[in-house]
Amino acid sequence: MSENILTIEKPRLEAINLTKRYRDGVLALDNISFSVQPGEIFVMLGGNGAGKTTTINLFLNFIEPTEGEARIDGIITHKDPLAAKERVSFVSENVMLYGDFTAVQNLDYFSRIGGQSEYTKDDYRDALLRVNLAEEAHHKKLRGFSKGMRQKCGIAIAILKGAPAILLDEPTSGLDPKAGHDFIHLLKSLQKEGKSILMSTHDIFRAKAIADTIAIMNNGRIIMLKKSSELAGCNLEELYMQYMTGHDGQRLAG
Amino acid sequence: MLKVIVEKEIREILGSVKFVITFGACAVLILLSFYIGAANHKANVEQYNAAKAENTRQMEGLTSWMSLEQHRIFLPPQPLAALVTGSSNDVGRTIDVHRRSELAAVDSKFNEDPIYAVFRFLDLTFIFQIVLSLFAIMLGYDAICGEKERGTLRLSFANPVPRATYILGKLLGSFITLVTALLIAILLSCLILPLLGVSLTGDEWIRLAAIIGTGLLYFGVFLTLSVFVSSRTHRTSSAFLALLVIWVVSVLIVPRSATLLAGRAVDVPSIDELAAQKTSFSRQLWTEYRDAMGSFSAPKDIDPHDMMTHFNKFMDSLSTEREAKMKVFSDRLNEDRFNRQVVQQKFAFNVARVSPAASMNLAAANLAGTSIGLKNRFHETAMEYRKVFGDFIREKTGMNLGGGMIYVEINDDGEKPDPIDPSELPVYTYSPKPLMASFSAAFVDIGILALFNLIFFVGAFVSFIRYDVR
Ligand SMILES: Nc1ncnc2c1ncn2[C@@H]1O[C@H](COP(=O)(O)OP(=O)(O)OP(=O)(O)O)[C@@H](O)[C@H]1O
Ligand SMILES: [Mg+2]
Repeated sequence: MSENILTIEKPRLEAINLTKRYRDGVLALDNISFSVQPGEIFVMLGGNGAGKTTTINLFLNFIEPTEGEARIDGIITHKDPLAAKERVSFVSENVMLYGDFTAVQNLDYFSRIGGQSEYTKDDYRDALLRVNLAEEAHHKKLRGFSKGMRQKCGIAIAILKGAPAILLDEPTSGLDPKAGHDFIHLLKSLQKEGKSILMSTHDIFRAKAIADTIAIMNNGRIIMLKKSSELAGCNLEELYMQYMTGHDGQRLAG
Repeated sequence: MLKVIVEKEIREILGSVKFVITFGACAVLILLSFYIGAANHKANVEQYNAAKAENTRQMEGLTSWMSLEQHRIFLPPQPLAALVTGSSNDVGRTIDVHRRSELAAVDSKFNEDPIYAVFRFLDLTFIFQIVLSLFAIMLGYDAICGEKERGTLRLSFANPVPRATYILGKLLGSFITLVTALLIAILLSCLILPLLGVSLTGDEWIRLAAIIGTGLLYFGVFLTLSVFVSSRTHRTSSAFLALLVIWVVSVLIVPRSATLLAGRAVDVPSIDELAAQKTSFSRQLWTEYRDAMGSFSAPKDIDPHDMMTHFNKFMDSLSTEREAKMKVFSDRLNEDRFNRQVVQQKFAFNVARVSPAASMNLAAANLAGTSIGLKNRFHETAMEYRKVFGDFIREKTGMNLGGGMIYVEINDDGEKPDPIDPSELPVYTYSPKPLMASFSAAFVDIGILALFNLIFFVGAFVSFIRYDVR
C-alpha cells in the first residue's frame, strides 16, 4: 500500500484550496487541500459542524465551492458533474431509501440509475450478503427495516455501482458493534480492489484501525493530517483531544 | 436513463399503500357517481313519460281545438345531464305554451323535490372536482421534498443523472401511472350506463369522452401543481399544508366568491321588478283601450251570427294592436335584463376561471349541454314551438286564441261533436346544442386547463433544476 502512495500515481480524489461559504455567511470550509490515492482510505475526524459533510457534498457537486475545486480523477466536479459522478459511489448518513421497494428493488433502481443495467438477481443477493444483510430480508419492503439494515442496503448500493472512488458520510452511525466490525473488513476488501475511500466518522478507534491517512478537522480547516505510519503507537484519542483543545486555545489566544 | 426513472416511478406508485387506498376510494366514488347518474336518468325518463301521458290524457275529453288554450311541453331528460347536472336541475322542465302571454319554464327538479337541492353535488363533475384534485395532491405533494426527506434524492444525484431527465421522468411516470389507473376506473364505470339500460347516442359518447378528457386535464393541473409546490419546499408537511390551502381557495372559495363579486359588480334587475313594470304598463294600455272598445258599433240590420263575427274581428284587431305594444315594451325590458345578465355571467365566469375547478365545470357543462345556456335554449325552442302551435290552432279554428275574445259554440243539430285527436298536435322536440358548437363553447376552458398544466409543468421543471437535493 505505502509503496503505491510513493509512486507518481495521479490522485483519485483531490481537494484544492477548497472553500465554502454558505449563503448565510457561515464559512464551512476554509481553504482545505488534500488528496486520496487509488487504494487509499482517507478518514476525516472532527466535531459537529467541522465541515466533513460539506467536503463530501462538494465532491458530489451538491453544492458549488466558493473558491478552489474538488477533483475526481482530475475532473473538476463543479465543471463536469456528470462525468465526475460516474467515478464515485456515495453512502450517506441516515438514508431511508424507498420504503415501498424491497431491498433488491432498491438495489436494482440505484444500480441502473448508476449505469449498471447488467446485474442479475444473484448479483443483488451476493451484494446484500456481502454487507451481511440476512437473506430472508432481501425481498422485504424497506419500510420495516431498522436503521442499520437500511444502512447495509445503502452500502450494498455503493458497492454495486463499482465506481473507483467511494465517499462515506458517517457510514457506521447506525450499525451494531458486530456490523461495524464487519464493515471495517468490507472496507479493507474494497481497498484491496483498488478503491479510493474518503470517509467521515466520529469513531476514532475504527478510524485508526483502517485509515491510511487521518485528517482532523475543526471549523472548516484541517488541523492535523497524518499517515497511519506516523501515528503508529500513539493514542489517537488523546492526540485528537490535544488538537481540539490546542486549536481552540490558539483561536482564543489569537 | 429516462426510462429507468419512469419505470421506478410507476413501480413506486403502484407498490405504495397510499396509492392503493386513495385510488380505491377514488374508483368507488367515480363508480358511484356513474351509478347515481344512471339511476337518476332513468327516474327522470319515467317521470317525463308519465307527465307527457298525463298531458295527453287531459286533452282527451276536449271536443274542440278552440278549448285548447295552451299546450304543455316538457324538456326531455338527457343522460349526460344526469352525469353533469350543470344548471339542468335549476331549469324548469315544463313550459305551458300559450298563444300570447310570456312563456315561463316551471317545475325545476329542485323545486319539485328539494332533496335534490341537497344532493345536487353527487354528480360526475363534483366527484371530478373534489376527488381528482385531492387524489393528485395526495400523490404529488411529496414527489420531490419527500424524496429529499428520505435521502433518496441525494443518493440518486450521486449518480450521473441530469436534473432535467430526473424531473421529466418523475412527472411522466406519475402522470402515466395515475392517468391510466383513473382511465381504467372511469371506463369501467361507464359500463354502468348500458348495464342499467341507459343508452347514449354516438354524439353523446363523444361528448362523454371529451368530458372525461377534461376531467383528466383538470387532474393534470393539480398533479403538476403538486409537483411544483413539492419542488419549492423542503419538507413534506409544508408542501401538504400549502397545497391544502391552495385547494380550499381554488376549489371551494374562488368559484363561489366569483358569483358574489359579479353580483356586486353588475346590477341585474330582478324578475319581480320586471314583472311590476310590465303589469303597470299593461294596466296603462288597458285603460287606453277600454275607451276604444266602447266605440264599437255594428253595422245596422245585421243578423246576430254576423254580428258576433264583426265583434270578434274588432276585438281581435284591438288586442293585436295592444299585444304588439306590450310586446315591444316587454321585449325591451327582457332584452335589457338579458344583456345585463350576460355581462354578469361573463364577469363571474372570468373571475372564477382563476380556479381550474371552475374551468373544468364550465367546460364539462358546455360539453354535456347543461351549461347556463340550457335555459335559454329551452325557452327559444319553446318560442319556436309556440309559432308552430299557434299556426296549428289557427288552421284548426280559423282564429287566434287569447286576448279577451269570446267564442260561442253553436250547436245546431244537437249532434255530439267528435273529440279532437291529440296526436294531430305538432310534436315538440328538444335538441341540444350541436356537437361542434358545444366544443367551441368549451374550448376556452379546456384551453385554460391546458395552460395551467403547462405553467405548472414548467414551474416544476425550473424549480427542480435549482433544487437543493441535499
Ligand atoms: N445549508 C447550509 N446553510 C448554511 N450553513 C450550513 C449549511 N450546511 C452546513 N452548514 C454549516 O456549515 C458548517 C459545517 O457543516 P457540516 O455539515 O459540513 O459539518 P459536519 O462536519 O458534517 O458535522 P457533523 O459531524 O455534525 O455531521 C456548520 O457550521 C454548519 O452549520
Ligand atoms: Mg455531517
